[in-house]
Amino acid sequence: MRDDPRVVALVTRASGGDQDAWNELADRYGALVYTICTRYRLSNHDIEDVGQNVWLLLVEQLGKLREPAALPGWLATTTARECLRVVTAASKTERLGTWLDDSVLFADDAVIEEEILVAERNAALRVAFAQWARCLERLRRSDVLAALGEGEEKINIRGGELGA
Amino acid sequence: MRDWDDDRLLAALGQALKDREAVPSWFIETGKSAFAWHNIDAELAQLTYDSHQDQHAVAMLRSETASIRALTFTSAHMSLELEVTGNSLLGQLLPPRAGELEAHTRTGGISTTEVDEIGCFSVDPIPDSPFRLRCRTADGTDVLTGWITI
Repeated sequence: MRDDPRVVALVTRASGGDQDAWNELADRYGALVYTICTRYRLSNHDIEDVGQNVWLLLVEQLGKLREPAALPGWLATTTARECLRVVTAASKTERLGTWLDDSVLFADDAVIEEEILVAERNAALRVAFAQWARCLERLRRSDVLAALGEGEEKINIRGGELGA
Repeated sequence: MRDWDDDRLLAALGQALKDREAVPSWFIETGKSAFAWHNIDAELAQLTYDSHQDQHAVAMLRSETASIRALTFTSAHMSLELEVTGNSLLGQLLPPRAGELEAHTRTGGISTTEVDEIGCFSVDPIPDSPFRLRCRTADGTDVLTGWITI
């Protein structure tokens, strides 16, 4: 999934000025950036600050990413670095000391790697789910399910588990 | 994921949807609106001096620091010297020349001021959220600073 051609296509389109492609990237990876921010226990204000910096940095870097497929990794590393900057600035001015445990400050690459993998999988699942939901909606309208009898019932039962 | 059974797939899917729901919509919107900065053809000026950073070192020694915040941004063709005075930001272009200065906030707000012939300008009031300055002069120099929080 790390070489997702879809991500490469989105990055290429966005660096060509396509706002829709950019929006899709923000939708797809917003959760990754957000999750990392919450791991650093930042306030909402700081989360907003970090989020803005990360996306603005990406805007500047878009055309320069050597491997567009590595975007999730770039986002995760940049977010972690920005969070650390905010945390360090806070402890400097308010001398909060070490209220964050070392495991957060020195999150090793394996943790970040795992988060990227989960984010990638989640993004793929959400895209697939949205497609499935659209197909289902079309099927419902076309009466095909009614003709199949119990089909719809089964789908509804499992769909209900997801709150769909 | 190929050999996942339905239950495992549904659990993963449920988690994926829940993770996405946990992200506030304003956070995603912030990401989307950053695209307004795409393809701005200006030279980036780096922060080369910030009195605020030096101040941390001395703050513990002197309790009353009547400090004036001063910042310098430098690019290959121009530098901007900034000084906070009351509620306004006074600036000087070096080398001095006339032009136009824009203060951009993250929400997309832009306020424009003139830079006089000796390179002086003032931004009044100072934006209360992070902003960056873009300066264009008659000779075609176009410079953009990093984000500033006063």
